[in-house]
Amino acid sequence: MAVEDFQPRMVGFLCNWCSYAGADMAGTSRMSYPPNIRIIRVPCSGRVDPLLIVKAFQQGADGVLVAGCHPGDCHYVEGNYYARRRLALFRLLLEFIGIDPRRLCVEWVSAVEGKRFSQVVTSFTEELVRLGPRSEVQVGA
Amino acid sequence: MQQIRDKAKELLTSQAVDCVIGYGRATDGVTSRPLFVYEPEQVEELIFDKTCTHNLTKYLLNRRGKKTGIVVKPCDSRAINVLLNEEEIKRDEVYIIGVVCDGVVETRWNQVGEEKQARCQYCHQHTPVVYDFLVGEPPEESPPAPEDYAAVAEIEAKSLSEREAFWTEHFDRCCRCYACRQVCPGCYCTECFVDRLDPLWVGIRIAPEENRIWHTIRAFHLAGRCAGCNECERVCPMNIPLSLLNRKLVKEVDELFGFQAGLNEEEMQPLGTFKKEEKLGIGE
Amino acid sequence: MTQVISKSDLMVWLGRLSESHTLIAPVNDAEITLFRRVSNVEDIALDFTNTTLSAKEWFFPPTETLFSVERKDGQVELVPAEKMEESVIFGVRPCDALGIALLDRPFLNEPADAIYRRHRDKTILIGLSCREAHPECFCTSMGTAPDDPSNVDVLLTEVADGYIVQAVTEKGKAILPQDLLKESDVTPPSPPSLSTVSVEGIEDAMLRNFDSIYWERLADRCLHCNLCAYVCPACYCFDVRDYNDKGKIQRVRSWESCQSPGFTTIAGGYDRRAGKGPHLRQRFSHKLLYFPREFGSAACTGCGRCVKVCPVNIDIREVIADVQNLGGKSGQ
Repeated sequence: MAVEDFQPRMVGFLCNWCSYAGADMAGTSRMSYPPNIRIIRVPCSGRVDPLLIVKAFQQGADGVLVAGCHPGDCHYVEGNYYARRRLALFRLLLEFIGIDPRRLCVEWVSAVEGKRFSQVVTSFTEELVRLGPRSEVQVGA
Repeated sequence: MQQIRDKAKELLTSQAVDCVIGYGRATDGVTSRPLFVYEPEQVEELIFDKTCTHNLTKYLLNRRGKKTGIVVKPCDSRAINVLLNEEEIKRDEVYIIGVVCDGVVETRWNQVGEEKQARCQYCHQHTPVVYDFLVGEPPEESPPAPEDYAAVAEIEAKSLSEREAFWTEHFDRCCRCYACRQVCPGCYCTECFVDRLDPLWVGIRIAPEENRIWHTIRAFHLAGRCAGCNECERVCPMNIPLSLLNRKLVKEVDELFGFQAGLNEEEMQPLGTFKKEEKLGIGE
Repeated sequence: MTQVISKSDLMVWLGRLSESHTLIAPVNDAEITLFRRVSNVEDIALDFTNTTLSAKEWFFPPTETLFSVERKDGQVELVPAEKMEESVIFGVRPCDALGIALLDRPFLNEPADAIYRRHRDKTILIGLSCREAHPECFCTSMGTAPDDPSNVDVLLTEVADGYIVQAVTEKGKAILPQDLLKESDVTPPSPPSLSTVSVEGIEDAMLRNFDSIYWERLADRCLHCNLCAYVCPACYCFDVRDYNDKGKIQRVRSWESCQSPGFTTIAGGYDRRAGKGPHLRQRFSHKLLYFPREFGSAACTGCGRCVKVCPVNIDIREVIADVQNLGGKSGQ
């Protein structure tokens, strides 16, 4: 498939209080961002289990975005601190088994940062277009 | 060896413990196997030599609420600290017979290797980190040598697609016997994620994609908790280099958080805590 | 007079078979030997002791899609399992062959398992006698022998400069390469001697000692992994589940083992066979008591794979001997 035809499939895990609201704000402010992203709302970035991420890749995602509140501003006080450690370590493991670490994008987006959210998704989509589709995945089970 | 037998006899006779878990001779006559001694007369069956590679600490999880004696090498004793830290066993229910160790050899059925196992060659932990009774003379402590991550570095030197091919080839052989999980002291969930039906993470299909999720996530669940006993790799019938995954995480946990699992009972493993200000290459 | 084939001609014959059939043979990989599809006969490992997984994986695979259900143009369509290929498995030891014969009894017992039957009908077995015995072998105690032709279609026995070729069934006779065989008066070598264990009265001994504390003690060191069941040529427990992938439903069958925790857990969390002792006892009860009662012989071929592979040395020969010495005695 020609590069410009490739439409990456992205899954985004957005925390309810900050980044999901930020995405919502992007929408209400009519700031556009690529429709390639499928958003899944979670209570907190600390809820994002590495299993969710590998499962997304196994089911055909070319990239996974995890967005949460800025450190220090977590609605649940500490959740994003745990997420920061967990995702930093997990990304290194993904790289070790052959998944490009750039396919896991972690960003802190607050509820008022609608513009930033659309920028994040736009640049992540562009990055994935450059990286190309993930290798053949078998879907099922 | 005789010290272990004498101590076991003493513990059983005084009823300080109901059972001593140690090593006995296997039916091939040359390797060893776990031995559970309940009667003082039986202690003569206990052995300790270079074939005693098993990590016996997993069995402590089956004996909660009962008093147990156990023979451990330094690597095994770190697993005990992990279990104590996670409050899975109680310190006063375990009598730890620690053995000073300078390495064990590779063993398979009826085969005893000549050289020390690879993991023993770079181990600098010759004295158990927790014990009630010490067998053997602790060597003069040499300054801690850096962990040898040569095998991990070999994988890191490959390109991404080479790594994927490497792991796919190995995971193709995995038959999901779960021997790696069952032998690991750190794997004690009453319902493992791989057995869950709702949500269905992996399912029952045995294929490389599913096997990849199984091994990657199991390794990650042990991040910051793996004591490096290498039992997972030893028991695998398909010779999958599982220790590479665990050692990669041991290396990264050490570099990112300055932590090694099981050195003491108190320190919380890094994924269970946090620092407000830290730069980990995430979201910056 | 026996028929022999030289080593190089054997390769020629196998090469021919790989073109007319799917050839499956022992292949070395990561320091173990496994039965794999082979297109280049140079890849075949002739000097192996035994494969890590038995030949049963070609009749009863670790994972198999039994059928799938798809929606097409508003209709629901049942798609049967993939077509079986005409196959030849080369290098089947007599113990593995006995294992397949043992599996035939539950699987082909009417109503037969149609998929297993198809695998069986389309596969020809070329057996290979054992020149050497190994410390884990005890097949002569379980009803077969290192040179037993009973359960294969062709049996090869290694001699000085080739192999004696013995056709056992019509199916086997049909694939013999008549142009490569030579007449010879070489006599087959005597089979190697192996360790033995007496199984006389084992069924009664198992029944008598059902409640013995022996099982609890034996299971102390058992890890309850699935290794013994998976490597065993005569074990056949499985699990079946349906999976839904965007409207296409697949019914998948995969290996299971009576040792896995939760094997007997039912809805509500009730577990009739809770405990390590009962779980491990089940393995031996099935092999040495229940299967013989139902199908006439023990579900064990004496291949010794479980002994070789068990991380904690639970040795079925030791168990058989121990159980026969129990009984009447209380405790261990």
